[in-house]
Amino acid sequence: MTFTTSDGLLYAESHEWVDDRADVVRIGITDFAQDELGDIVFVELPAEGVALERGEPFAVVESIKAVSDIYAPVSGTVTAVNETVSDRPELVNEHPFERGWLIELETTDELGHLLEPDEYREQI
Amino acid sequence: MSGTPERSTRDAEEQHATNRGTPYAPHTDVEVDAMLESIGAGDIDALFDIPDSVQFDGELAISGASEQAVIRRLTETLAQNADDTEFLGRGHYSHYVPSIVDHLSFRSEFITSYTQYQPEITQGFLQALFEYQSLLVELTGLEVANCSMYDAATALGEAATLAARVRGTSGSRVLVPDYVRAERRAVLENYVTGVGLVVEEFPTEDGVTTPEAVGRVLDDDVVMVYVESPTTEGIIEEHLAEIGDLVAERDALFCLGSDPVALALLRSPASLGVDIVTGDASVLGLSASYGMGLGLFACREEYLRQVPGRLIGASEDADGNRAFTLTLQTREQHIRRERATSNICTNQAWIALRAAIHAASLGPSGLVSLAKRCHALAERTAARLDEIDGVSAPVHDRYHFREFAARTDGDARAIGAAMRDDGFAVHVLDGETIQICVTDVNEHRVDEFVRSLEEATH
Amino acid sequence: MQRHTQAVWDDTESDGYEPLLSEKGLETAEVGETGLPDELTRDSLELPALSEPELARHYTRLSQMNYGIDSGPYPLGSCTMKYNPKFTEEIAGLSAASVHPDRDAESVQGTLEIYHELQGYLAEIGGMDAVSLQPPAGSAGEFAGILVAKAYHEANGEGDERTEVIVPTSAHGTNFASAALAGYDVVELPDDADGRVDLNALSAAVGDSTAALMLTNPNTLGLFERNIEEIAAMIHEAGGLLYYDGANLNALLGRARPGDMGFDIMHYNVHKTFATPHGGGGPGAGPIGVNEDLAPFLPTPQVREEDGAYELFEPARSVGKVHGAMGNWLVLLKAHAYISRLGGAGLRDASAKAVLNANYLASQIDLEIPFGPFHHEFVASAGEQDAADFAKRMLDYGVHPPTTKWPEIVSEALMTEPTEAESKKTLEQVADAFDAVRGDAESSDSSSPERIAAGRIDQTSAARTPRLSWQRIHEE
Repeated sequence: MTFTTSDGLLYAESHEWVDDRADVVRIGITDFAQDELGDIVFVELPAEGVALERGEPFAVVESIKAVSDIYAPVSGTVTAVNETVSDRPELVNEHPFERGWLIELETTDELGHLLEPDEYREQI
Repeated sequence: MSGTPERSTRDAEEQHATNRGTPYAPHTDVEVDAMLESIGAGDIDALFDIPDSVQFDGELAISGASEQAVIRRLTETLAQNADDTEFLGRGHYSHYVPSIVDHLSFRSEFITSYTQYQPEITQGFLQALFEYQSLLVELTGLEVANCSMYDAATALGEAATLAARVRGTSGSRVLVPDYVRAERRAVLENYVTGVGLVVEEFPTEDGVTTPEAVGRVLDDDVVMVYVESPTTEGIIEEHLAEIGDLVAERDALFCLGSDPVALALLRSPASLGVDIVTGDASVLGLSASYGMGLGLFACREEYLRQVPGRLIGASEDADGNRAFTLTLQTREQHIRRERATSNICTNQAWIALRAAIHAASLGPSGLVSLAKRCHALAERTAARLDEIDGVSAPVHDRYHFREFAARTDGDARAIGAAMRDDGFAVHVLDGETIQICVTDVNEHRVDEFVRSLEEATH
Repeated sequence: MQRHTQAVWDDTESDGYEPLLSEKGLETAEVGETGLPDELTRDSLELPALSEPELARHYTRLSQMNYGIDSGPYPLGSCTMKYNPKFTEEIAGLSAASVHPDRDAESVQGTLEIYHELQGYLAEIGGMDAVSLQPPAGSAGEFAGILVAKAYHEANGEGDERTEVIVPTSAHGTNFASAALAGYDVVELPDDADGRVDLNALSAAVGDSTAALMLTNPNTLGLFERNIEEIAAMIHEAGGLLYYDGANLNALLGRARPGDMGFDIMHYNVHKTFATPHGGGGPGAGPIGVNEDLAPFLPTPQVREEDGAYELFEPARSVGKVHGAMGNWLVLLKAHAYISRLGGAGLRDASAKAVLNANYLASQIDLEIPFGPFHHEFVASAGEQDAADFAKRMLDYGVHPPTTKWPEIVSEALMTEPTEAESKKTLEQVADAFDAVRGDAESSDSSSPERIAAGRIDQTSAARTPRLSWQRIHEE
């Protein structure tokens, strides 16, 4: 089984990705993570304005057979949540790096602890 | 324990039994030997991997008996129960259960099956439970009903923990009225242990909950307010809509205790601002059964992910046909373990099946007329008791359903005892109050009951 | 080889099988004059209205699209789907069995005698000193038992410090959930390489904050915890209590007793071990047994005998209640009937045959069974095949499949418990079904089952778009 990774992103060991190419960082879960979960049926997202600490669970992703907490890869304040996946959780399965993103954060956190794409590929 | 197995030439157990073994295992000695040979074991004992030090080397001090002897003995034992006519309620009710309910629910494909972990082969039970859920959705006006909790008390406990989860707090309060049965409250207290909620009682006025009384104790730290209609004393609550508004203002959940017969007559809970309905649904499908029960649980759809217990949903199968399945199981203990919405696994599914058959057998008209009768019987019987010198009924000038309290000038305990000698069981609440429950099951004896009370009073 | 084709009633109009009651005839009843103020009552009620003959047919057809123990073998691991003797229903159906829970004790002496006797039977079977019949199911028993443990620690002034309950990874999910419901933090205990409690891990986990260790013995792999005395000593030395999950008691009847192994608290699943029907998911009953030190903490009321009369009493330091009345009385009554039918010797034989059957079935199937020696159940691996798909294919062979994908310690687990009620010949048919499905390439696709009422059901859409009532279906 081979999984897609997206080259412009950074990765957390707990299988979240971080896109730091804009003013705010965008966060989602990786192709590997969605495959491990199986068909996703429900995504519970935080409210806008919530402050998150690195490592803190911020969302719950539920499949037929499992429930997983999603952990904040960096600290920050939630500026946007992807409402579309609340109605269409299958987007997380189908497009984990694009339309299946979860939240956007305003952050001043370091990103040094995150993995480069090739390092993450090693891990999976 | 009565004892020696009865001998009968026709006793199949004797043909199979080796050394008084279980009659419900089909093995012959020859088969046992052949099986051991295939396994490669000398005898059955060799299959057990139990250290000698913890082996039980005695014989359990329980004697076996033939089927006939067991039936005779238990029948005789149960016959020691006084054959009293019960005028008892206070949360546990009986209505006539049509014969068809037994005949259909006892079909062995239903009663000898288990939870529908393999939905394709258990469509029948799944659909019956789906229909049961739908019945409760209609009666409560709420969008979601689960397919059973154990009883009314545990359903109330589960409602409180749901409220704590929804509000995301602990250490807050649950408010209950002073008429709630001690048993129900005791269960609630245990269920909220883990989330650290405190149960607090508020007073009622002349048998009903008033917005003022609730307002006095309501604050932002309240996660749930519970009331019953009909109440444990048989009174129909009159201010639910206003209370619903008050509770909503505080962002707390409003939980109503009721039952499927009462709900056929009373205004839909959802339209009163009720968020959760709990209660005993075994008023349909099951006699009193020593309080066995069937926990009713229905709530608004916004709490779907927090619902305790099993839910049946409609889906499609590979042929594109509608089919039913257990769904949203990630809420449950076998997947979410310590973070599950409840620890319940085995529930009361078969009683739910019986309740659904009973409701279908009555149909909406039958259900409504039964409910109207429960109201009329209580009112009429109270009026008759009120004519007895030394009795005033009902105690509260309210609307009653199935039951009501009566005040006696004489010692209520003595009156209760005298009536028991006449073969009537009533609740004695204190030295001067009795409570009487009248339904379709005992109404044919109301005349005698009234005479008995009259004699007991004088 | 046995094949199975389930009856199916296919209704082209509703695009389903047997139509819903609501599709067969919804009717609106007007409430009309009630003598109550209008604002208290509803105007109307819309529910199905069917004649009795139509109802009989509806539910008969539904039953034909359902599979029970009387239909065929049901080796669902951990559930002990043994044959339910029919005579017990006759006793449960007696009108004298159905009394109101508020009847005075003196007027229901028969009920209380049976209740009291069953308390005694279960104490004898479990090697316990006192029993409460109140918990209405196994997990309710766990909850009650852990509440007892909590009350005991509180009485010893250790309530605040003992905040943890230890549960092995392979335990039933209910153990975790029941401990949490009672307010405990759950500490998960990994199994050792042999699938049993890892003593080193236990030693590391046990301490001043331990309230209890919950164990299933034999565990969910069917393995007896041979170190049970050592485990009990470790827990007791640390001041904790040892809890026995009775789901697998059918392996031990009359052969070993939890009380003799050092367990302080246990629950019994009477619908499993004592053959009361499972009823499509319940009702069951989950009485608990405790040692004499814990008896004062049991739920209230208990039944005792004084000079030939039976009475209810509240234990001195009772934890209160876990059920609004006396538990699932009719289920308890059937369990009493079963126990007094078999007696001690019959119960011991039931366990013997259950263990014989599991071992024989295992010897007849060609799948890897990684752990042993097992007792009344074993966990086989479907290997390269997906256990869930494997199970679906088995449906076509007249066998209810094993429990799948659990415990997770075995990959693609097929947890199999035949019970004592199956004959040698039936076990061979079950083994044939295993063999027919093993290596069957088709079992990995969704074409199975083919001969059952419904084809493979889409779980994903059921959860993504919940439709939980006929009202929702009719809106669409």
